[in-house]
Amino acid sequence: MSKNNWLKEIQIIINNIMAIYRKELQGYFTLPLAYVIAGIFWLLAGYFLIALLLGGEGIIQQLATRDQLGITKPPIDAAYEFLKSYLSVMGSLSLFILPMLSMGLYTEERKRGTLELLATSPITNWAVAIGKLAGVLTFYVTMILPIILIETMVISATNPPISPHILILGNVGLILLAGGILSLGMFVSSLTDSTVLAAILTFALVLFLWIIDVLANAIGGNIGAGLQHLSLLNNYQNMIKGVLDTSSFIIFFSYIILGVFLTAQSVDALRFQRS
Amino acid sequence: MIEVEKLSKIYGKTTALKDVSFHVNKGEILGFLGPNGAGKTTTMRILSGYLPATTGIARIAGFEVHEQTMAVRQVIGYLPEVPPLYPEMTVEDFLYFVTRIKQVAAGDRSRRVDIALSKCGLLEKRQVLIKKLSKGFRQRVGVAQALVHDPPVIILDEPTVGLDPRQIIEVRNLIKSLANDHTIILSTHILPEVSMTCHRVAIINKGEIVLEGTPDQMIAQLAKSEGYDLEITGELELINQAVNLIKNLPGVIDVEIINNLSSNLSNSSPNNADLVDTVKEYSDQPVIMQINCEALQDLSKEIVGAIINSGLTLSEMRKNKASLEDVFLDVTTGATMKEVKPDYLPGDHIILQENVNVNNDQSADVN
Repeated sequence: MSKNNWLKEIQIIINNIMAIYRKELQGYFTLPLAYVIAGIFWLLAGYFLIALLLGGEGIIQQLATRDQLGITKPPIDAAYEFLKSYLSVMGSLSLFILPMLSMGLYTEERKRGTLELLATSPITNWAVAIGKLAGVLTFYVTMILPIILIETMVISATNPPISPHILILGNVGLILLAGGILSLGMFVSSLTDSTVLAAILTFALVLFLWIIDVLANAIGGNIGAGLQHLSLLNNYQNMIKGVLDTSSFIIFFSYIILGVFLTAQSVDALRFQRS
Repeated sequence: MIEVEKLSKIYGKTTALKDVSFHVNKGEILGFLGPNGAGKTTTMRILSGYLPATTGIARIAGFEVHEQTMAVRQVIGYLPEVPPLYPEMTVEDFLYFVTRIKQVAAGDRSRRVDIALSKCGLLEKRQVLIKKLSKGFRQRVGVAQALVHDPPVIILDEPTVGLDPRQIIEVRNLIKSLANDHTIILSTHILPEVSMTCHRVAIINKGEIVLEGTPDQMIAQLAKSEGYDLEITGELELINQAVNLIKNLPGVIDVEIINNLSSNLSNSSPNNADLVDTVKEYSDQPVIMQINCEALQDLSKEIVGAIINSGLTLSEMRKNKASLEDVFLDVTTGATMKEVKPDYLPGDHIILQENVNVNNDQSADVN
């Protein structure tokens, strides 16, 4: 009997998360702003793709110059280098785009007054947070899907063909990185009802993460190593190099869970103030 | 069904609510009345679990709103002050979403949404985007989301704000039809609504409950007076006679005669020094007699008798019942405000003195 109750409870929680998830997705595909952001992202991603691959400073050109100059050591795997650089650029690009996706997550609910509906319905704070994060992450994945497609096309044209190892790992890393940033960005958006303020604070957060990364590389010794471990960006860099490290996964998921947890807490705490 | 005990809410130095206690029985509609800023919305928010109280408890269907908030959320439908709507969704999609987060079983959802749409008159707007709806329709969607999951307790914060008179009547009828099967608490500062819809009323002012009871009880308790307005025609001495008669009736507090002469006087020639003569000339103009009597007295028969016996013509008679408005104003401002009657200018009051010689000496005081 109690096992049935357990299952029912889990069922209810999943239903709740799905309800929020559905609503969020519906919103993204009907909101003009979402298309604008996606369009800008694709434009920039496309530009970088062309520049990196085919441009004057691009990989192919560089290798050609190398060949001309007769430098053959160390051997360079063009596809590998390209993927690494491109994914790195994608990471940086995402760091700019992601705050714009997460800024509205809670600020809009507050502004419209719908937070009062969610907070007085039999659905927990963290179910709402998970549903929202899943929604925005799905949107992000949809945005990078075409990019991944193109990357696949580029890779498949290499001779000899390289393993899809980097492609998969790198993009998984990208998605996890996005998850972490979006999760923290969601927390920031739950602190205020001004979308602009949320965006600014999230950009500041991203900057802060970048600084940690720089510090981690600059400072040697144990502290540096510790910071490197914790740094989101550093872990991402590792993944796109093809380094499969379970601790990286753990760190990514920790950031994601941290964001969700903080969001759930802050929604509760802020209700207790004069609004 | 709803029990509130000594609820207090303090924000820093401001006390929003102080020891608020009231109850709503099952199947009842309680009107929660108060001026703006009195604490109505704060109370509603505490009841729905959106805000915690500083001290005190509230129970809905036996569940305490702080300790058992999930259970409470299961049994309530709530319309906040600002209807919680997603502008980018259609009415139907939004109501479906609400049924999902209110744990309505999958098979029931479609039926419940249809019922809510038809009860709130939204059937023809079901596919319309919420952002395209007028304020009145948005308010209706707000009411719809509060009852789409058929909750036993419904909390409505100003449900008729922004609606036109016809829509107000529809919402009122809707609320009345929900009683018995549902327990409803609604807050408003539109007074006639309350006496028409609610079984009981609680008046809140500056964070404290000042009065609670049925509308009739409250009026009986506090209403200072009622009155009659009559339109009569006849000669001045006959009017005086009637006034004396009526003044002496038990339960009558005072009688006033109001005359629309000023406009006529200003039109007449400037040589009329003797006002009394002028008044005499216009004795076939109807005058208004205002009678103030103690509350809940029915003196219509005696008054009409006095008028007829004085040989006057009665063309209109109207009873001014004490209204909830008087009670409300009295209780929230600490003074009975006399409403300025728009038709009569202050200079038109003519109060006749008591001892009037019917034959010759007539004195009229013009205030």
